[in-house]
Amino acid sequence: MLIHFYWLDPTVLFFPQHLPMAGLWSAIFAALPVTEADFPLDFSEKIEPSLVEVLKQCRQQLYSGRCQWMQDAQIILDFSWEKLNTGTWRDVDKEWRCVYSYGCLFKVASLCREDASAVKVQEAIRTCDMGLLMGASIMDNVLQRIIRILQNKVWKSHYKEDPNEGVSPKKLKVDCDPVIKQALAVPRIRCPSLERFKNDYLDTQKPVILEGIIDHWPAFKNHPWSLEYLQTVAGCRTVPVEVGSRYTDENWSQTLLTINEFIDQYIVKNTTDLGYLAQHQLFDQIPELRDDILIPDYCCLGDGDEDDITINAWFGPGGTVSPLHHDPQLNFLAQVVGRKYIRLYSPEDTDKLYPHQSQLLNNTSQVEVESPDIEKFPEFVNAPYLECVLQPGDVLFIPVKHWHYVRSLELSFSVSFWWS
Amino acid sequence: MALSFRDRVEIWSLRENKPVWCMEVKTSDNTGPSLAFPLVPGGYIASRSPFYRPLSPQLLAISLALGTQHAVLLSASGVVYTWGCGSHGQLGHGDLSPEEEPRALEALMGLQMSSVAAGGWHSVCISAGGDLYVWGWNESGQVGLPSRSLRGGQLKTQCAGSASTCKDQENSDEVFISIQAFPALVDVTELCEVSKVSCGSRHTAAVTSSGDLYTWGWGEYGQLGQGNMSSSDEPKQVRFFKDQGLRVLDVVCGPWNTFVSAVKEDPPHPEDLSSALTI
Repeated sequence: MLIHFYWLDPTVLFFPQHLPMAGLWSAIFAALPVTEADFPLDFSEKIEPSLVEVLKQCRQQLYSGRCQWMQDAQIILDFSWEKLNTGTWRDVDKEWRCVYSYGCLFKVASLCREDASAVKVQEAIRTCDMGLLMGASIMDNVLQRIIRILQNKVWKSHYKEDPNEGVSPKKLKVDCDPVIKQALAVPRIRCPSLERFKNDYLDTQKPVILEGIIDHWPAFKNHPWSLEYLQTVAGCRTVPVEVGSRYTDENWSQTLLTINEFIDQYIVKNTTDLGYLAQHQLFDQIPELRDDILIPDYCCLGDGDEDDITINAWFGPGGTVSPLHHDPQLNFLAQVVGRKYIRLYSPEDTDKLYPHQSQLLNNTSQVEVESPDIEKFPEFVNAPYLECVLQPGDVLFIPVKHWHYVRSLELSFSVSFWWS
Repeated sequence: MALSFRDRVEIWSLRENKPVWCMEVKTSDNTGPSLAFPLVPGGYIASRSPFYRPLSPQLLAISLALGTQHAVLLSASGVVYTWGCGSHGQLGHGDLSPEEEPRALEALMGLQMSSVAAGGWHSVCISAGGDLYVWGWNESGQVGLPSRSLRGGQLKTQCAGSASTCKDQENSDEVFISIQAFPALVDVTELCEVSKVSCGSRHTAAVTSSGDLYTWGWGEYGQLGQGNMSSSDEPKQVRFFKDQGLRVLDVVCGPWNTFVSAVKEDPPHPEDLSSALTI
C-alpha cells in the first residue's frame, strides 16, 4: 500500500528515492506559489495590521532566499493561538484559523530550510497536523500536500531501519462479555433495501443493526485495519486523545499525541489509564484512511450532500466508555475492529435518565449505566432499553436524540456517520 | 502610553520607538486619588465612547479588571464579583459555566480583598492581609500551580471544593492543574505581603511590600524579566531590581510584556548612624 500512495501523489513522482536534505526543501518550496506575488495574504480589518506586517515579512524572507523567519512564524502562531482559544470554538472567526495555518506553513518552511534532521521532520509533520486540526484550509490545502512530502521522508528512514516487530495489544483481563437478553436485543437485519430501511426504521425512528452492508469496505478487504497498518499509514500523525475514564469525570482531559505514541502508551502498554481517540474527524486529516471507508448508501435518504455528513473515528483499547448521551443528528455507527457493548434508551424516557443541568452537559445523563446509584436516580431502573454487542461488520442505526451508552470490550475501531 | 499623575494625565505616543509628547489632561484638582486608566490597545485611553452599564445599587464598585472575555470587580466591602465567559475557570465559581451578571465569589466570602487584576484567561486578587489568590487557566503556569506543559504528566481540572495550596513537587505521580476553577492561595514568598499585582495575557506579576517583583506564567517573550525565554509555574523573584539597588513600587502588564516602576533604594544616611550612636 506504500507503493499505492506513492503512485497517486504527483508531487512525489518527480523526486528520486533518496531525498537529500536540499531535496526536501525543494520539494516543499515546489508546493508553494512560484513567486511572492502569487502568494496571497489578504485579510479583513479583523486581523491586526501589525500582525499582517509580520505575515508579509515572513513571506518576503521565504522568497528572498534568507533563512531567518522562525521567530516571526512563532509570533504569528502565538498571537492567532490566543484568538483560537477565545470564546467557544464554534465562534472563532475562520480568518484567525487561516492565520494560524499560515503560521504553521511558515514554521514548517523554516524547519525544512536547512539541515532537516529526523527530529525536525517529525516536528514539521506535527506542525502541519496542528494546522490541519486547529487551522483552516489555505492555498488549496497546502498543508496536506506538504505533509505527504514529509511523510515520504519519514517512511524512507523507517524503511532502512529494522522492520516493525509485531505489535499486539496488551493482554488485559478481557471485560467480561455481557450476555444480551433476547427480549431487549436491538433487532438485526441483513442488507435491507433502501425502502425497507426507510419504512421500518428511519421513518419510525427505531434503532436497528444492519449486517453485511460494509463488508466491501477496503478496511475489511484490501487492507484490513490493524495496529500495524495504522502505524504504517499514519503513525507519525498527531491526533487528539481523550485521557480519563469518561468525559464527565473531573480527571478527564485531552492531549495531543502521534498515533504511534497513542498506541504505545494506551494500547500496547499495560496501563490503568484510559486513552481514547474519540470523536475526531480523522478521515479529513488522513486521506489515506478515508479511502478505506465508504459512506453507507442509506445516507442518501437524508437531506443535504455527502459533504454535510460528519465522519468521526473512535479508536481505543478495551474499557473505553462513552457515558449515556444523545446527539442532534442521525447516526450510523460502523464497527470495524473489535466489539462494543451498547445500550439504547428512547427520548420518550428522558425523564427517567436524569440529564445534567448545565448547558455544557445537557445532552448527557448523570447515571452510570452499568452501576447506577439507585438512591440518587431511583427512576432509572424503570426506563426501558435495548442493548447489543456490536461486532466487526455491523452498523448500528441510532435515531435522532436516542440516548446511547457505549463500552468497548476489547481493542476497538468504530466509524460514525452523523447525517440528517 | 498614558501616565497618570496626581494632578494630570499625560498621553505619549511612540514614534519610531521614541516617546513623543501628545497631550495632557488636567484632572479637576489635587485632592482625591489619581484616576486609574486601563491600558487599551492602540495606545489611547479609550478609542471608542464609553459603554455604560449600571450595576446593582448594593454593589459599591471600587475597582474593575478586564480579561479577554471576563470581568473581575471589587466592591467597597472587599467582595470580589466576576462575570463573563467561564470556560477556563476564570470566574472562580468552581465550574466552567458563563455568568451573565456579577456573581460574588463564595470561596472568598469572609475574607476582605483589597485589589483585583485579570489576565487573558485568569484572575487574581490580593487580600487585606497581603495574601494572593489566583484562579483560571494554568496552561503556562500563570496561576502559579504545577503545569503539565512545563513539567510533563497528567492534567487535572480542579473544580468545586475549597481554596487550597499545592506545593509538593518531588512526587513523580504528581497532579498537574490545567484549569483552577476556584481561587487558590499562592505563596509568592513566605517573607512578606503582596502589595500590587497585574496580569498579562498568560503571565502574572506581583510586587511585595518589601519592594521585590515576582513573576510567573508564560515567559517565551521575556515577559517574566528573568533574562531568558522560559515559562514558570511558580513565582520567582526578579533579581534584577535588587541587584541594581532598585525598590519596586508598582507593576502593570501588557499582553506579552511587563512594565515596572521602581526607585533607587537610598543607602542608609550618615545622620541615622550618628543618631543611633548618640542613643
